[in-house]
Amino acid sequence: MFDPYYLQQLAIGLSLGMTYALMAIGFTLIFGVLNVVNFAHGEIYTLGAFAGLVLISATAPPIVAVILGALAIGALAGFSLERIAFKPFRRFTDEASLKSRAMRESTLLSSLAVSIVVREALEIAFGSQMRSVPFEYLINTPVRVGPVILVTGDFIIFGVAAAMLIGLQYLLTRTRIGLAIRAVSNNPLGAKYVGIDTDRTIITTFVVGSMMGAAAGILMGLYYGAVFPAMGFTPGIKAFVAMVMGGLSSIPGAVICALILGISESMATTFVSSGWSDMVAYGFLILTLIFFPNGLFGARRERV
Amino acid sequence: MNAFETAAPADGLTRRRGLLVPALILLLVFAALPTLLAGFDRGYFYQIANLALIFVLLSASMHLVTGVAGLLHLGHAAFYGVGAYTAALLTSKLGLGFTVTLPLSGLVAALVAFLVALPTMRLVSIYFAVATLAIGQMLYLVMLNWVDFTKGPNGIIVSKGFELFGFSLSGRLAAYYTVATVVTLSVIAIGRLSHSYYGNALRSIREDDQCADAMGVSTVRLKMEAFTLSAFFAGVAGGLWAHMTGYISPGDFKFSESILILAMVVVGGLGSLPGAVIGALLLILLPEGLRGLGDFRNIMVGLVMFLSILLLPKGLLGEVSALRLVRQQLGAAWRTAGPANGKGEGIGWR
Repeated sequence: MFDPYYLQQLAIGLSLGMTYALMAIGFTLIFGVLNVVNFAHGEIYTLGAFAGLVLISATAPPIVAVILGALAIGALAGFSLERIAFKPFRRFTDEASLKSRAMRESTLLSSLAVSIVVREALEIAFGSQMRSVPFEYLINTPVRVGPVILVTGDFIIFGVAAAMLIGLQYLLTRTRIGLAIRAVSNNPLGAKYVGIDTDRTIITTFVVGSMMGAAAGILMGLYYGAVFPAMGFTPGIKAFVAMVMGGLSSIPGAVICALILGISESMATTFVSSGWSDMVAYGFLILTLIFFPNGLFGARRERV
Repeated sequence: MNAFETAAPADGLTRRRGLLVPALILLLVFAALPTLLAGFDRGYFYQIANLALIFVLLSASMHLVTGVAGLLHLGHAAFYGVGAYTAALLTSKLGLGFTVTLPLSGLVAALVAFLVALPTMRLVSIYFAVATLAIGQMLYLVMLNWVDFTKGPNGIIVSKGFELFGFSLSGRLAAYYTVATVVTLSVIAIGRLSHSYYGNALRSIREDDQCADAMGVSTVRLKMEAFTLSAFFAGVAGGLWAHMTGYISPGDFKFSESILILAMVVVGGLGSLPGAVIGALLLILLPEGLRGLGDFRNIMVGLVMFLSILLLPKGLLGEVSALRLVRQQLGAAWRTAGPANGKGEGIGWR
């Protein structure tokens, strides 16, 4: 009844979905805390992949070190992104301006502008062509599991993503800084009144979210073996779709929707050429926006 | 629209100045520039001039939806592409000429915009922006992947240049005049639209859509009309582009072009038509002038956009900042005129 081929596609879809989930968490964390969309998140993904590539070509470290290096660059990128594109627009801290449309749209445009600059700078530094990852670092050694053939990358991606998700859950629910993040995302002004350093919490959120994005970037770079400056755009959009589908500020919702998205995309390539498979994400996005404005898993939100 | 009847009518002074500046601009576009171009007589300069004019139209059409109605539109280039593909396909498959294809490319783009607007125009703020992004990407994917119809990434060769009722206008100067005429007429139309009571109704959506709704302005309908109208003008720009270059491919209409057009409107100042025009000229001519910088020109676009958001939040000629300027001037006058209250300060406006 179940063709092994579909099982195979399911496995590929799951690893794809896991990287989307890592990206989507970054989006969701930042949206939850600041109520703004970070359009430069895709570039964090690209930066993570390039950091890994540079590390590999410079010192050829073990793969764990590559991932850790990408995480460090992601954290740094998240920090500077917040300082450059978001902090200057948070001049006032009263509730009206925290929720104002002008602030939301100016940070949207500023993060967009930063993402253009980063992408073009990477193109100048590395060329716009695909750069291939050295063969011995590719994580695509085939492994046979029952009727399907998986590659080691599927396991690594799944493992790293699951570890990061559990770590995030621990951070958010068991630590003081996680408590602060949740407090700020619940009510920024109230959090400020009870003595939480909102600025530092926002920066932490950016750092954590960007580390996840960078991890997704390096994992995908090693999985497909190609790294190029424009690689962050499509996963960024997909992760955004997952966030909207999941209900904007629900992390479990975003993860589940990212998995759904990854699986339906890899299934779609069975029926249509891969060029059209991007259509799935955009179609999902439009349908969700029209029929489930609160997302599939989101709580009811006030009208924004 | 009676609610907006109280908007200040133009007094004599602004009306006179309002005639002088357009006359100068018309003189520049239709007499001075062509003379210069003919003087240099290099195809490259004509091409830059035409490109700049087309982007002026694109930026002006986006001004209507993003600047005046305040809807962040991230898929504008797709409608430009729909217009260009309409013109190219009508020419290459049916052999129609420019006179027919230009209005049709606008109409088809408007029709597509109307159809996608039907379900999505009820969305607000960020949801709207994302929906337009998705729509733009979907249209781009169709151009790229529907190989049987659009020839996919290979693009289409448009064999016919500009013509008017059988007269060929494909010479360099004639082509420039054609583009300039169409763009000027369209920009005037957009200007009339955005400086009318209709434009004021759109502005009311920008300022507070819930309030506008409560006052009896049909926001969804107005948004839809603004979206469709702007797509019409973007389609016209696409038709011009197709006949001007003679070759189009999906790469001309991707997301980064939408962002470029958005950057033009933002740099020029949201809500100001002259701002949108200047923004377009700046972002097209500046990179051309800085051609020596080579690869850095795209970074320039990003940097100019970022700096203008950071340093000039209202853009070069933003409507809102202009208002504040007037208020400050009046407030200062008031203050000097009223030293009666001891401190030497009048009531002021603040």
